[in-house]
Amino acid sequence: MNDQSQPSDFRRSRFLLFLGVGALLYLIAFLVAERLVYVTGHSNPIFKIDTESEQEFDWVILGASHAMPLDFDGFNQRMRQETGLRIINLAGPGTGPLYNKFVLEHFLRRHATRNVLYATDSFAFNLSQWNEERLTDPKLLARTPYSLPLAINLGRYVVQGRADPRALLDYATGFSKINNSDRLKPDVWEGEAQFDRVFKPSAIADRKRVDYLYPSMSDDAVAVARYLGDFAALRKIVQDHGARMAIIKMPLPAPFYKLLPRETDFDQAMDDVSKAESLIFRDFSQSMIDPRFYSDTDHLNRSGVSTFFSDYLKALLMSPTN
Amino acid sequence: MLFNSLGFFLFLPVVLVVFWKLSERWRWTWLLLASYGFYASFSPFNLLYLGPVTIVTLLLGQALSREVSDRKRRFLLAAGLVATIGSLIVFKFYDFLAGEIERLIISWRPSTSPIVLPRLGVTAPAGYSFFAFMAASYLIDTYRRKIETKLRIQDVALYIAYFPKILAGPIERATGFLPQMKVGGVIDAALFTQGLQLIGLGLVKKVVIADNLAPFVDKTFKISAYASPIDLLMSVYFFAFQIYCDFSGYTDIAIGVSLLFGIRLMENFRRPYLAKSTTEFWSQRWHISLSRWFRDYLYIPLSGSKAGEFRRYVNIMLVFVVSGLWHAGLGYGVGWTFLVWGALNGAYQWASFATRPFRDRLAEKMPAVSASLALRIARISVTFHLILFSWIFFRAQSIDEALLVIGKIWSALPGMPALAVRYPFTNEQLLGVLMILLLLAFEILDERRSIWDRLSRAPIALRWAAYYAGIFSLLILGRWQAKEFIYMQF
Repeated sequence: MNDQSQPSDFRRSRFLLFLGVGALLYLIAFLVAERLVYVTGHSNPIFKIDTESEQEFDWVILGASHAMPLDFDGFNQRMRQETGLRIINLAGPGTGPLYNKFVLEHFLRRHATRNVLYATDSFAFNLSQWNEERLTDPKLLARTPYSLPLAINLGRYVVQGRADPRALLDYATGFSKINNSDRLKPDVWEGEAQFDRVFKPSAIADRKRVDYLYPSMSDDAVAVARYLGDFAALRKIVQDHGARMAIIKMPLPAPFYKLLPRETDFDQAMDDVSKAESLIFRDFSQSMIDPRFYSDTDHLNRSGVSTFFSDYLKALLMSPTN
Repeated sequence: MLFNSLGFFLFLPVVLVVFWKLSERWRWTWLLLASYGFYASFSPFNLLYLGPVTIVTLLLGQALSREVSDRKRRFLLAAGLVATIGSLIVFKFYDFLAGEIERLIISWRPSTSPIVLPRLGVTAPAGYSFFAFMAASYLIDTYRRKIETKLRIQDVALYIAYFPKILAGPIERATGFLPQMKVGGVIDAALFTQGLQLIGLGLVKKVVIADNLAPFVDKTFKISAYASPIDLLMSVYFFAFQIYCDFSGYTDIAIGVSLLFGIRLMENFRRPYLAKSTTEFWSQRWHISLSRWFRDYLYIPLSGSKAGEFRRYVNIMLVFVVSGLWHAGLGYGVGWTFLVWGALNGAYQWASFATRPFRDRLAEKMPAVSASLALRIARISVTFHLILFSWIFFRAQSIDEALLVIGKIWSALPGMPALAVRYPFTNEQLLGVLMILLLLAFEILDERRSIWDRLSRAPIALRWAAYYAGIFSLLILGRWQAKEFIYMQF
């Protein structure tokens, strides 16, 4: 009996059975992919939050990739030992204030902190690429463990028009995790793999990197205002939870720093924010200009992180405000 | 809104449901509007290219069907070909040729101050080649009085703009497409199932196979001067399957989508890497719609094989060189490599024709050998490697790069088995090899008896297992980030 000659009820029930078996197989794939997120997890900020056993922290570090070396190869543990403070680093590659706010909200749902250290970067206040689009980024979603509160919060961002509905669809269905071609590899950001490298200065590499971070179309005052607004909302969350906030700019090599567009405008904005709200603002961007401290055009290597911590950051973390 | 995008998966059901709900009278108008929407989704400016081609085709087509004077009809056809094919040539080659002429003048008379020729600075949008060829075919067939004269304007416009085929074909003929408009879109369960199967197969070819092979090929060709010979050899093999799965995957989806609307598009690929000769490869198995276009509108008008052996050889080479040049475009640039690729394939045809009497005599004297499986495998293998060799010119950015790749592989060929034993294959490469082997197994089975026929007669558990395997390979292994299909750029 071929398909056409079968009664429609029979065909319908067979179709539903096909869908049911498919859904079951999908559920299995979802659970396996979710399990792999925990097996291979390492640097994703949401993963760190969900797997952190401590409840109370002295410092939460937020920011983009420039702040990530502070947690490379167990360096965060060293900072904890030397300061006696409970520190967690939730910085993520290419993430601006919107994504960091999203991370902080999730953190504060499960944990508490006395201070937040935000390592700012001007590039992250320019484009949706470093903010809204990070919420949809399959690479980040592939490593983000599933939790209902996070899904609800992401849904709120969608309703507010700050996240693409595809981000919620992806997260809720676990598509990026099931589809992750690096599913068996540990979630180690490429920068961490070259933590011991010393960068040979290259004008071409600097130019390429700056062009990547600041595409020509990024000269958009409306966008900057929007992300400064997100940054203000993030500070408000910190304040509402009775925590204090410190803003820093991470060190950068001199040739790279010179190429940054409109950096003085950004510094002025950060200065205004810190003065208005009596926040600590430390600009370390020109404190370690020697290329030997960097593993690539703009990320600190092991020696750079070590020097930065002992010469500058340690004092800030241990300052009397704690 | 590519076929492998979420946007398309939302667009298609909407277009389909509205199409079904509408009365037959309005279905084609709706499909035309949907096609314009689809094409404009890449850039609204695309319609500035599609619109004039459509209008010129409609006006000249109507004039051609009304006109009785042969002289005027020839003039109208020439005007139409200049507007369609001529504009395509200008968009593709003008800027490239201007640069080449400047270089030639400088090398010829270095002392003179450099001449700077004006540039267009624009290239035709994706799919221009395809709809320009379809428009030209419509005009030629109208000139030849092969097309009915009383046609509705929107049907002809839909023939040019029909969204499943606008980006990369098949280069459908009006004689096959327009009569289907009269039927009013037959909605048939068997056609619908066949359409979904083809969409699924096309997606697997594109998203799972082609896009998983692409990163390694791209990376190796980008650093061909520094890449190891084994990497280069592997990437040449991978590219052969990447381009096949990318293009035939697109075509399968296009044909499948079209079947959902009850419209049959022509077959464009027939397991090309199982061809036993390069002639069979080009005439019966690879990009069939383009081969037939060149056969009917270039080779035969040039008198084909009827004007003696010498003319036949010249015509064949001309067709392949023109076909090579047609492939130049956004994808791998506009360069002389496509000319070499076309000429090389033309030379294969020469060799094939020249040796045919010898092969025929051999077959007569040793029929058992001629029909043996071993010889068939040997012929398939030789044909595949000849085509593989020509793909190097297709993929390389310049002739120098192609020669470098060939040179590096050739010099390391004797030691290749030893190199392969020590080579640290990555998981991605092993996955690529596995997918190619599975594809070949699939095609060999399909060659002997249609895979869809086998599936329809298979036990339900086996059929469902095959469907789930396809769906879950898309979910687990698919790379959905690709922003293009290779051929839409030609």
